[in-house]
Amino acid sequence: MLETLGLMGAGFLNALTPLNLLMMAAGVSMGIVIGCMPGLSAAMGVALMLPLTFTMKAETGLIVLGAIYCGAIFGGSISAILIHTPGTPASAATAIEGYQMTLRGKAGKALFTACYASFWGGLLSCISLYFFAPLLGRLTLKFMSAEYFWLSIFGLTIIAGVAGKSLLKGLMSGALGLLISTIGMDPLYGYDRFTFGVDYLSDGINVTAALIGLFSMSQVFILAEKKIVERAQATKFTDKMSLSRDERKLIRPTIVRSWLIGNLVGILPGAGASIACFLGYNTSRQFSKHKEAFGHGSIEGVAGSEAANNAVTGGSLIPTLTLGIPGESVTAVLMGGLIIQGLTPGPELFGKYAPMTYTFFAGFVLVQFFMLGIGLLGCRGFAQISRLSDAILIPCVSVLCVIGSYAIHRNMVDVYIMLIFGVLGYLMRKLDLNTAAVVLALILGPIGEKNLLKALTISEGSIGILFQSVVSWVLIVLCVVGILSPIFMAKMEKKAEAEASGIDPDDDDGVVDIEIDND
Amino acid sequence: MKNEKMKWTDIGVVAFMYIICAVFYYKTVHLNEEIQSYPKFTVILLFGLTTMYLVQMLLAAKRNGVESGVDKVFKDFQPAQFFVSLAAVVAYVLLINVLGFYIATALFLIGLLLYLKVPYLATAITVAVILALVYFAFAKFLGVKLPKGLLLKMLK
Repeated sequence: MLETLGLMGAGFLNALTPLNLLMMAAGVSMGIVIGCMPGLSAAMGVALMLPLTFTMKAETGLIVLGAIYCGAIFGGSISAILIHTPGTPASAATAIEGYQMTLRGKAGKALFTACYASFWGGLLSCISLYFFAPLLGRLTLKFMSAEYFWLSIFGLTIIAGVAGKSLLKGLMSGALGLLISTIGMDPLYGYDRFTFGVDYLSDGINVTAALIGLFSMSQVFILAEKKIVERAQATKFTDKMSLSRDERKLIRPTIVRSWLIGNLVGILPGAGASIACFLGYNTSRQFSKHKEAFGHGSIEGVAGSEAANNAVTGGSLIPTLTLGIPGESVTAVLMGGLIIQGLTPGPELFGKYAPMTYTFFAGFVLVQFFMLGIGLLGCRGFAQISRLSDAILIPCVSVLCVIGSYAIHRNMVDVYIMLIFGVLGYLMRKLDLNTAAVVLALILGPIGEKNLLKALTISEGSIGILFQSVVSWVLIVLCVVGILSPIFMAKMEKKAEAEASGIDPDDDDGVVDIEIDND
Repeated sequence: MKNEKMKWTDIGVVAFMYIICAVFYYKTVHLNEEIQSYPKFTVILLFGLTTMYLVQMLLAAKRNGVESGVDKVFKDFQPAQFFVSLAAVVAYVLLINVLGFYIATALFLIGLLLYLKVPYLATAITVAVILALVYFAFAKFLGVKLPKGLLLKMLK
């Protein structure tokens, strides 16, 4: 206990260095800019900025990525409130009440509520990160090769199943990713596989280049295929950005409820901020003493949605850091960053690398304060940025994708790989295949393969070793649950969306009337 | 799901997956025997899932009929804008080694921004900001040596 407290304290001291503080401010600002621009997503932003963190110390790099993540989730609310277009799907529910407040001349109040609730949602989510992550991390000490193999399969089933419209298409995407992950040297014997005569591929597909291609370059192509239209003018607001004491008191229980919801949703692999915001919004309406205000600009509605989506951030880091199972696409990219730094999720992060991990945790706490400050001070400016035309975004993001993938190994081959994955990602998104599943398979595939081969070598080829331990069986059951969970998740999301917009959830034509520009 | 029709666009998905399976299977059987099992497993997994999807599609076709799907997939598609942007990105990537990173980037940005009807002043500001960002963030901060290009080497 004392040791943990010592690590927590040391983490804060390390996180408070001028460089880390500067990086937090830069990361949050970048994240808010990315988040408030409809068309750019949090995963895309984190993937684009990944190469910038290579030369940084691991903790600083992770703090930057965490700051972009938090900033982007909050940033989405700015355009949701001011132009009725959520910057990210995580703010879709915020648009319902937030825009109504804007129409009633209370945009400043809505933005303050979003920022305040996001801050508390994010900050409170750090509590579970501090307490559950080390516990779960220690649990994985009992894992051997067979368990790690099943764990990688579990991670794949979860994300492949939940993140897409069709379960089979999600699983196909995961299997395609697994196949692509076999490109390169065999982990046991060192023979080359599927390199197609390209020596560079002996080391396998560069995951970062693939990430940039699948998340960022593909988004460029998505933007390029649509007619470029001028975005709606962001409402200029003159009301004060603040809440009265009574209003703060009013939203306090909502924030606590949404924190719990968001945190739980974040911990569940596969469920993300887009589900949490609707659940948070609905719960705030159910418990509200002012139900009549909903649909006409309720601050409880804004707070419920924003606290929930930001509470996902800390929660989703728990399975990512402890089990190596990213809860959603943003944490899949974050995990890529972790692996690139030479770190493996699991007990090592809370043993050998504990100082680094606790510095990151402390940084994550401090990021919330930066988000509050920068969010409140810069709202008007960010609102103008959210109007940036796709005509400017298309070439600029393309250049950042190229330079980002080149910077990994200072090699043009990575740029070609990024471009190929960009086209592949575009086609996959058009055809409802799941790019996050491919990324996850690229990350988890080699881990699963290595541990499978290791287990089979130990057992001299007997597959019985995969079914020997209780933990293995628990993980197998979880895999089955993972495959079946999309049905439950889809129903839950549909119900929450329908309830939020007052539509019968069983009505197939029910559509929430909010424009969401990106994945 | 139960009201969904079979889409012709999904036939493309199935065909693509089968081609991938065929290529990788062909390559797998030519690998050293010791290392064939895992790649073979992944090929069979993809093949099996694709076949399950094909069966699901055929059942949907039998139940609800067939639709093109192209109109949904390519709704509001701007072919000229898309293909020019794609070609510009490919040309940009290929020209980096010839013209060098900065010249290729400047040309790409100016060309595409003007094609996308961005006003001159906004184009100039965007090019300046991006080049400055690349220079300070990547060349200076990260110390990335950017390709100088064959042209500059030849001129020297």
